[in-house]
Amino acid sequence: MEFGTIEREVHIEATPEVVFEVVSSPEHLREWWPDDARYEPTPGSVGEIVFGDCDAGGKVVPFTVVDVRPPRTFSFRWAHPAGEPAAPGNSLLVTFELTASGTGTLLRMTETGFREQGWEVAVLEEAYQDHENGWDHFLPRLAPYVARLDEVPA
Amino acid sequence: MSTAVDDDLWSAIGDPTRRRMLDLLLVSGGGTATSLGQQLPVTRQAVAKHLAVLDRVGLVQAATAGREKRYRVDDAQLARAVAQLSSVGAAWDARLQRIKRIAEAVQRQQDRRES
Repeated sequence: MEFGTIEREVHIEATPEVVFEVVSSPEHLREWWPDDARYEPTPGSVGEIVFGDCDAGGKVVPFTVVDVRPPRTFSFRWAHPAGEPAAPGNSLLVTFELTASGTGTLLRMTETGFREQGWEVAVLEEAYQDHENGWDHFLPRLAPYVARLDEVPA
Repeated sequence: MSTAVDDDLWSAIGDPTRRRMLDLLLVSGGGTATSLGQQLPVTRQAVAKHLAVLDRVGLVQAATAGREKRYRVDDAQLARAVAQLSSVGAAWDARLQRIKRIAEAVQRQQDRRES
């Protein structure tokens, strides 16, 4: 196990073009990760992602697009100090690599830079993550509960 | 538990030589700077320095045995370091599952429009 690097892969039943759009566009990024995302999906574009509500202790985190090669590669650096250009050693690098596989896509993700960055960044989203896990935990329980309520005669 | 402590733990375990040392200590149930130096392509002095880093963050514990300190891995602290990494990994597992759900829903929509 390589400490300091996270590697994952997942098979998705969708074309590389569709998957590329989902991993790279700010509109979709908001659906699977931060609460808000502002950047242009072009190399070198500097933007930000937002966790939580900015007016209520949320956190704005710098985000820089590194590589955009549809539909094969999308990479970005995040969590560099605001106003500082993203570079190895001051940020985490996330790389998505897409390969056509059968009727779908194999999506590989690596995140590196923890060794240089330390834990502060890694635990940055923990508060929001907890919130999210909370919903993941309660929603499946809520549905059967609502179904049972329906069965009760009026 | 402060973040500063966690940062130190993270960078202690981030170094490849120190990870190799932890492996060797785990396999042999413990060792000294001399015994580790014999199994690694670094000087005894370098090994001693790495051991001091691991000791400082609590990943190894030292006991004086004869002329040299004998080190063994602190299982609880190692487990803690591994658990922290797993929690970041788990966050990505959840994100990738969401990416999968979204992409597959978009694909189904496109397929329906085309048929």
